[in-house]
Amino acid sequence: MTQWLRITASRLRAVFTKQRLDREFEDELKHHLESLTEEYAASGMSGGEARRAAALKLGHPDVLREENRDQRGMPALETLARDLRFAVRTLWKSPGFTSVAVLTLLLGIGLCSSLFSVLNGLILEPLPGAREPGRLVALQAPVTYPYLEHYRDRSGVATAAAAFIGPEPFGVSVGSAANARPERISGHLVSPEYFSTLGVAPLLGRFFAPALERPGGAPTVVVSERFWRMRLNSDPHALGRTVQVNGRPATLVGVAQKGFLGVFPANPADLFIPITADAAIAPELAGDVLHRTTDPIFRVLLRLAPGVAVPAAEAALEIETRRLDEEGGRRDPNRDRQGRLARLILAGGTTGMPSEQRSLLIMTYGLMMGLILSFTCANLAGLTLARGGARGREIAICLSLGATRFRVIRQLLMESVVLSTIGGGAGLAIAYVALNLLTRSLAGPAAFPAEIPVAPDLRVTLLTFAISALAGAGFGLMPALVSTRSDLVTGLKETSTAGRGRYRRFGVRNLFMVYQVAAAMTLVMIMGFMVTGLQRGTNRDPGFDTAGLYLFSLDPARDGYSPEESAAMFLGLPERLGRLNGVDGVTLADQIPVFVNADSAVSTTAGDGQEVVHQVAMQAVGPRFFATLGVPMLRGAEFGDRDLRSDPGPGAMLPVVINHVAARQLFGDSDPLGRIIRKDERIFQVAGVVRYGKPAFFRNEPAATVFPALTTRNFRRGPAQGSTVVVRARKGVGFAAIKRELEAVDSRLTMFNMRTMQEDLDRLNRTIEYVTAFYGGIGMFALILACIGLAGVTAQALVQRRKEIGIRMALGAQRRQVLRLVMKDGAAMALAGCVLGVAAAMGVTRALASLSAGFAQNLAASASDPVRILGAPLLLISVAAIACYLPARRSASIDPLKALREE
Amino acid sequence: MAQSKLDLLQGTLDLMVLRTLSALGPLHGYGIARRIEQVSGDKVLLNQGTIYASLVRLQQRGWIAAEWGVSDNNRRAKYYSLTKAGGKQLVAGTENWDRITAMMGRVLTMRRGEQ
Repeated sequence: MTQWLRITASRLRAVFTKQRLDREFEDELKHHLESLTEEYAASGMSGGEARRAAALKLGHPDVLREENRDQRGMPALETLARDLRFAVRTLWKSPGFTSVAVLTLLLGIGLCSSLFSVLNGLILEPLPGAREPGRLVALQAPVTYPYLEHYRDRSGVATAAAAFIGPEPFGVSVGSAANARPERISGHLVSPEYFSTLGVAPLLGRFFAPALERPGGAPTVVVSERFWRMRLNSDPHALGRTVQVNGRPATLVGVAQKGFLGVFPANPADLFIPITADAAIAPELAGDVLHRTTDPIFRVLLRLAPGVAVPAAEAALEIETRRLDEEGGRRDPNRDRQGRLARLILAGGTTGMPSEQRSLLIMTYGLMMGLILSFTCANLAGLTLARGGARGREIAICLSLGATRFRVIRQLLMESVVLSTIGGGAGLAIAYVALNLLTRSLAGPAAFPAEIPVAPDLRVTLLTFAISALAGAGFGLMPALVSTRSDLVTGLKETSTAGRGRYRRFGVRNLFMVYQVAAAMTLVMIMGFMVTGLQRGTNRDPGFDTAGLYLFSLDPARDGYSPEESAAMFLGLPERLGRLNGVDGVTLADQIPVFVNADSAVSTTAGDGQEVVHQVAMQAVGPRFFATLGVPMLRGAEFGDRDLRSDPGPGAMLPVVINHVAARQLFGDSDPLGRIIRKDERIFQVAGVVRYGKPAFFRNEPAATVFPALTTRNFRRGPAQGSTVVVRARKGVGFAAIKRELEAVDSRLTMFNMRTMQEDLDRLNRTIEYVTAFYGGIGMFALILACIGLAGVTAQALVQRRKEIGIRMALGAQRRQVLRLVMKDGAAMALAGCVLGVAAAMGVTRALASLSAGFAQNLAASASDPVRILGAPLLLISVAAIACYLPARRSASIDPLKALREE
Repeated sequence: MAQSKLDLLQGTLDLMVLRTLSALGPLHGYGIARRIEQVSGDKVLLNQGTIYASLVRLQQRGWIAAEWGVSDNNRRAKYYSLTKAGGKQLVAGTENWDRITAMMGRVLTMRRGEQ
């Protein structure tokens, strides 16, 4: 072994000291030859004779040199290096081909790499620190704590279960100094089994234990390694230190292992508080949360027992939930569209999602990557083939001089691998830049920090280079095989106008072309669906004047307010701020998200008494919310101060405003005023209808939204994401004035997420634009590649059929007829590709629609949309026609006399 | 042509070179080749240049070392000398060779009917 290492090292050294060793060997041979010559001369030979005899005795110097080199260096490596140098030189000599090929690869691989990065970050990356993350699931809807106990003890599907609430923001300051300004840190409220269910180990100290974290005990807290590193300076004696949480002291008992940021780390948690903690430290825990059977607030985390699949677990939990609901006399609280109670989402990754959504995403991304990569390869194979034709003579010479076919193929493959490696490297750089842009465009004030690790990591880099190598071999091998098959005699006979070959209508190249057009068509159509879906969903006109609308959030509970203080502060705030000079109106809302998700299930009663479930978005708003925005009511009236001050008990009828989309979805054409909507145990009565709503992704209209009134109850419970204050002010009033006024109210209050309404909308639009550009870019890329391919095929056909065209023209063919002759095949290929592509796109969209409700809705909407149905094929055919026409035009310039003379 | 020369077992030439260097001390390529020819009677080397591949091989294994010096006829030449590891290898190689020849000798001198 050491011997082998020594030899390899010596050989490697020789590769890099080649020139010196060559020189030394020459000196050695010279010395040997001279010594031999002297020896022979001394034995009586003449000078010439002695030299000849000496040369004969020593052996042929070239053979000796080669022996020496083979023995001392690494012949295989050196041949490879020689191939590489030659490939680079050859590519350098044809800059046109090289730049088109590199650009194509760069885009193709860049797109694949970006897609894979997103897929990797969103889906493939396992939960950091978790043991067997594949067995972790979570219930989609929150439940009450007694339900969790039943699931854990009776369902038999899980080996471990834990409850958590979050991510929730906490006002946190380190150290005992009470005057330290608290920072908003996102955390989870967890049951003691949380960490053991995930299988995470502590870096320092301990996690929670049922015996130690008892209700009423001293408050304890566990932090992430990141928090410990950044806020506690990796203090090795941090255990036992006091951390101020929401204005209350808690003892640090543990630090979680590196990289662990709670379950679903896309919304990271840096702080973990036991659910046995006092409501003073976490207002979410008010009202005997561990025993009450109303107000489900706990998310359930389960570790599935070995051998239990997700559907089986879902079925078992469904039965258990139904039984519990019946026993407790509860109404179906969290039904999804299919009427199911217990939906599971996978919890072993960075984001939680139902398993079918995971498959859908993997399938979609995989399909896109496969299509992009395969037609990038098809395109390049076409280009290389065309070039192989032009290089037929060169290859024929190599073969006739005794090069083996394998040797020539290796050389040709080296060229394509060089190309694909350059393209891959550049593609990775592009992906890196694009994803950084994406992350930055999505960053900004949000209710919760979101950290989606989409930057290309080692796995993405490795995959990119694997893809590159694969692409290189993919588009290089076929043309190399074809072009080295050529008959030597014809190859050598070809003159400088080489590369004509025989025109073959059903040749490999044309099949590639049809595939390319079909793949492009599929991509353009799918991307067309996505892009138009996005654009229709975006209402650039929000329906009100955004100038002078300021938004900011307050979360007094994290600033140490008691629920009563908090409610009193909010009740007085609108009036207080309204008195400011230049302020025209002030209102409140629970939160104003960038994207609205219709993720709440509500039900209505149809005419026949049947209960119907709808998915809507819910957003609680304060008095004069719509008037402050400047959105007129279509029907009825909005909330006033009386609604804000009300404190409805359980079972009370609550007023809601709904938007026009919800009015149509829930009540059809009938009058919605006074109608009843149920959500969990709450009963709402429609008091007004408004034309307002933020767009949802991939929908043609704003999300159906129900706006309940903000009440004193909301403030007492402390909405998790704080409350948004909306101020409409005249020119000259800004956040500075508002901030001063708030300071005057109470210096403890922390303003956060400050932005104008325009910034808020711009962020949405920017994201949509970016995603549109991304999808549109993929479509454009496919289109351009298909066109390059078509133009290339037509141009080659023109060269190959030059003589035939000359004869036809000599016999009186008109320009138009010649044009048609040349374009016919290109057009046929484009058409065949279109038909195949449309069929494939239909199949794919159907498959996607069957997996995703959102996509299905989008597809249904597009069925009646002529732009989406006919747009892509028309676009592709017209561009294809131009791509064929441009090179075909040159057929008119063929001089019949010249064409016929050429041989 | 090659038939007239001895077809040598792999490594035999290497062993000869080691032995030559052990007997004569540091020597250049020409000297080694000449000495082997003298002793073996022109039967070993196809031509003298063949020695150089063997010299590279031995150097790679660390059995000989090379150094530039000046030869008797006042020319620059590369002198090869046996290293410590080379000496050990020579002993091991010689023992091995003796074993093989003794065994081959016994096998090839077998008579008909001999048990």
